[in-house]
Amino acid sequence: MEEMPRQLIDAARQGSERALARLISHVEDRRPGWKDAMKAMYPHTGRACVIGITGSPGAGKSTLVSEIALRLATSGLTIGIVAVDPSSPFSGGALLGDRVRMRGISAASGVFIRSMATRGVLGGLCQAAKDVVRIMDFARKDVILIETVGVGQDEIEVVGAADHVMLVTFPGGGDGIQAIKAGVMEIADLFVVNKADRGGADETASEIAAMLELSSEGQAGKPPVFTVSALNGDGLTDLTAALRGYINRKKAGPVLEQAHVRREILGILEREVTCLIRERVASNGNMEACIARIMAGTSDPYTAADEIIALFAPASRIKGGMP
Amino acid sequence: MVHDSKIRVLIAKPGLDGHERGAHVVAYGLRDEGFEVIYTGLRQTPEQIVSAAIQEDVDVVGLSVLSGAHLSLTSKVMAGLRAKGADDVLVLVGGIIPEEDRKALQEQGVSGVFTAGSSIKDIAAFIRSRVRTGE
Amino acid sequence: MREGKKKIEQAARRWEAEVLKPRLERFNLEKSPTTFHTPLTTNGSRFLEKVGFPGQYPFTAGNHPFEFWRAHAKTAALFGFRPDWGGAGGVGKYGGFGTPADYRDYLLRMQSMGRRGGPNIAFDLVTQCGFDSDSPYAEGEVGRVGVAVDSLRDFSVIYEAYTGELDIDRVPSNFTINAPAAVIIAMYACLAKKRGIDLARLKGTPQNDILKEFIARGTYIFPPGPSMRLFRDTCVFCCRHMPSLNINSIGGYHIREAGATRTQDLAFSLANGIAYLEAGIEGGLAVDEFAPAFTFNAFGGSMEIYNEIAFQRAARRMWARILKERFHARDPRSMMIRQPITAHIGCSSTTLQRSLNNLARAVIGGMAAGMSGGIPGAYPPFDEPLGLGHSQEAVQLQLDATRIMIYEAKVADVCDPWAGSYFMESLTDRTEEDALAELEKVERMGGAVAAIENGYMPRAVAKSAYERQKQIEAQEELVVGVNCFTGANEIDVSINRVVEATYDPELMKTAEERQKASLARLKRERDGRAVTTSLNNLKGHARDHDRNLMPAICECVENDATLQEICDVLREVFGEAQPVKL
Repeated sequence: MEEMPRQLIDAARQGSERALARLISHVEDRRPGWKDAMKAMYPHTGRACVIGITGSPGAGKSTLVSEIALRLATSGLTIGIVAVDPSSPFSGGALLGDRVRMRGISAASGVFIRSMATRGVLGGLCQAAKDVVRIMDFARKDVILIETVGVGQDEIEVVGAADHVMLVTFPGGGDGIQAIKAGVMEIADLFVVNKADRGGADETASEIAAMLELSSEGQAGKPPVFTVSALNGDGLTDLTAALRGYINRKKAGPVLEQAHVRREILGILEREVTCLIRERVASNGNMEACIARIMAGTSDPYTAADEIIALFAPASRIKGGMP
Repeated sequence: MVHDSKIRVLIAKPGLDGHERGAHVVAYGLRDEGFEVIYTGLRQTPEQIVSAAIQEDVDVVGLSVLSGAHLSLTSKVMAGLRAKGADDVLVLVGGIIPEEDRKALQEQGVSGVFTAGSSIKDIAAFIRSRVRTGE
Repeated sequence: MREGKKKIEQAARRWEAEVLKPRLERFNLEKSPTTFHTPLTTNGSRFLEKVGFPGQYPFTAGNHPFEFWRAHAKTAALFGFRPDWGGAGGVGKYGGFGTPADYRDYLLRMQSMGRRGGPNIAFDLVTQCGFDSDSPYAEGEVGRVGVAVDSLRDFSVIYEAYTGELDIDRVPSNFTINAPAAVIIAMYACLAKKRGIDLARLKGTPQNDILKEFIARGTYIFPPGPSMRLFRDTCVFCCRHMPSLNINSIGGYHIREAGATRTQDLAFSLANGIAYLEAGIEGGLAVDEFAPAFTFNAFGGSMEIYNEIAFQRAARRMWARILKERFHARDPRSMMIRQPITAHIGCSSTTLQRSLNNLARAVIGGMAAGMSGGIPGAYPPFDEPLGLGHSQEAVQLQLDATRIMIYEAKVADVCDPWAGSYFMESLTDRTEEDALAELEKVERMGGAVAAIENGYMPRAVAKSAYERQKQIEAQEELVVGVNCFTGANEIDVSINRVVEATYDPELMKTAEERQKASLARLKRERDGRAVTTSLNNLKGHARDHDRNLMPAICECVENDATLQEICDVLREVFGEAQPVKL
């Protein structure tokens, strides 16, 4: 028995966790009516402050996220957390274990955690995560924290779409610095060296500060670097204060950026068009015919792609050659 | 439209019992059977488990108990799910469950009991046979 | 042995060509399903270096020429003693339930039925996890898998069963407690003080093996680093004040049961042991002062009899070498692995299907033990997987199987019967090499604590457990009655079982309420200011890493601070352990 999205939308807006959770599944699974649901919610969104959190494995992101969430929640803010983990490329399944590290958050604290698998195959993790964030925003969450393992391009894009990006590393983890070099640095607004209880954190922090000095030459304002211990709470007050600054600024009014809107439309289209093509070629036998020709040596994958595109847009001038 | 639907399973350890072997094996196994598995970790209260099941919108909750406290812990989880209107969630129990307690668990609303020696394939098949997939 | 290597090599090649090959061809096999071993298998016969005599370095052949129980074996048979040889060696029966008064009454009843020996106390999970009975976490768990202990008053109530000729300077106590071991050891010391007994006369063993909790058993409280500081403090305290008390009981048993391979079990146990040795040294002790007070609970076991024999031999040799070469121990007692159980099959080898077969399985474990320096105990009772609690019948069969191995089969009449076997010596070498490679991997990460903090050891064990499951499901590993021989022609065989309700179910029902009431009474009656002062003092000491916490914990305990109050102070300073993400 499937509830109508309409009912779910109303209930989620009124604070039903169950409705919010089901709505997310509905959209994540791309079940019939998902897009209409998003259209209905869109006008009521844009209020929440979205913070992306990434960093190398072992940096203690989940523990940190849960500590931050608890601190913000006690000051009366409503919090949503999206924890992204990779799907298995072999089975399509996933083992989502971030809740293990978020045990401090009890049922009563009003924090909504949703684990999300990358699901991969159809691409567009970024859009799927944006949808989930938007639904939480619609359900009146003030702050939404998205956590990913900062390894794949997909994951980097996910946090990149947030209002602010926090990069978490830890002392001694040589790959902590490596991850920064891998291109996340440019999008991060604040840096956190976690696990300060273990020593060596100050060295790591000054190393990062030095790197920022180099890269931000000539620009106004360098991103701040915080040294914290999610384990014993050191430094979390300062970090949370910085986040409150972001949250208050966002409350002053939602800001739409042209570039973001453009990227989002393209993102939705990419996924939609891919789905459409896959569905069509799978059902009308075109794909099998192309494969057979290539196997027989009478065609090639490039020609096949052109032929399939021509079926959709006969008038289009998309061709493989140079313009 | 192409669906991208997955069966979601919450594997939970209620109470203070710290033996995780069964929970780990089932979590890995169901992932490799194509499910999205959310693992709660140790020392979860029934309230925390119910809350996680609701937020994650899972189709299945698997409880692993080896301390002998399965009857009381399970009944609290069942009551919590009912109270939140989530009684359509399939609940399975694993661990050390004496034969004579199976019936009591079933009367509480537990759909399946899987003790030592159960195969992942059987658990996966059981779940697939009971859970609709997003149609 | 004048044959020479070359001659044997020639003979081996001839045998392969003339005997083995035709046989393989006849059965259409690529590879022989068996192996055969010759002097070529072993890399020379350095007997003294690798095996030596029982009771001498490197202890491969055994800790002693014969164990204490072997000396008494004949007497036991003639006079009909019932020593618990099938299970936990010489210690008293492991137990505990309900409130301290419930458990005390139970112990008194057992004593009136002739049971002697000290208690082997199981604590409830609430106590094991550092909570009091009135904590929200305690709901439904109070007194369930062990006795509830919130305070010194509780601890003293249990020991009301041990006075006179059974006083605590006469009988040893075992405490299955890890994360809050320091608090329980402090209670034991305070109890002795109250009774006017010299601490130096206290005997017994606290499990005090926190590292394996992170890897396998899950009842941890504080992060690994501070946990090891607590271990250091108990180690120094026991060594200085309670020299007759063992310091710990290191367990590979739980690690293997949690799914570790044989190699991981051995390597991780030794890595943990090394971390404990280093902690004692950090505390300012000389190795020979405290290493003889280390014990091992048991390593893990499996059905693979040859491998388990080699495992025990390799373990003894490796530990001895680590102590001698790395820690420069000189006292042979520092170098011995002292453990009540040696080889066994492990509870995870038992099957629910056709469960009487577990008796046959347990005998194989007993044979492995008897042939590798231990009591040939047919552990566990066959009904282990049927639920919590063994039947009288299963325990009788277990004891008899052990006796049959000792008296009829005379398994324990030869010390290290496999010594010098080409096959066993090479298998022992290989077991050692594999474990050494894994141990080195852990050491490269920075040792056991680092390999727990970065998640390596717990994750490796979880993955091995899953691998084993996949092997069984793919029929790469065969388990009779589980994934083979399950057809319609097989029949199940069962016998009547009487599971004694060890503990009164009516008492169990009310234990939680009664324990909470007595805790509330304690909190009303005690001197609140003294509690606060001593807890604050503990907090100050906890912040100073170099300070031994035992005096401050003893002070808290004496002032009737509760176990959770003490742990909460430490939680505040140390933080709490974070579980590993798979």
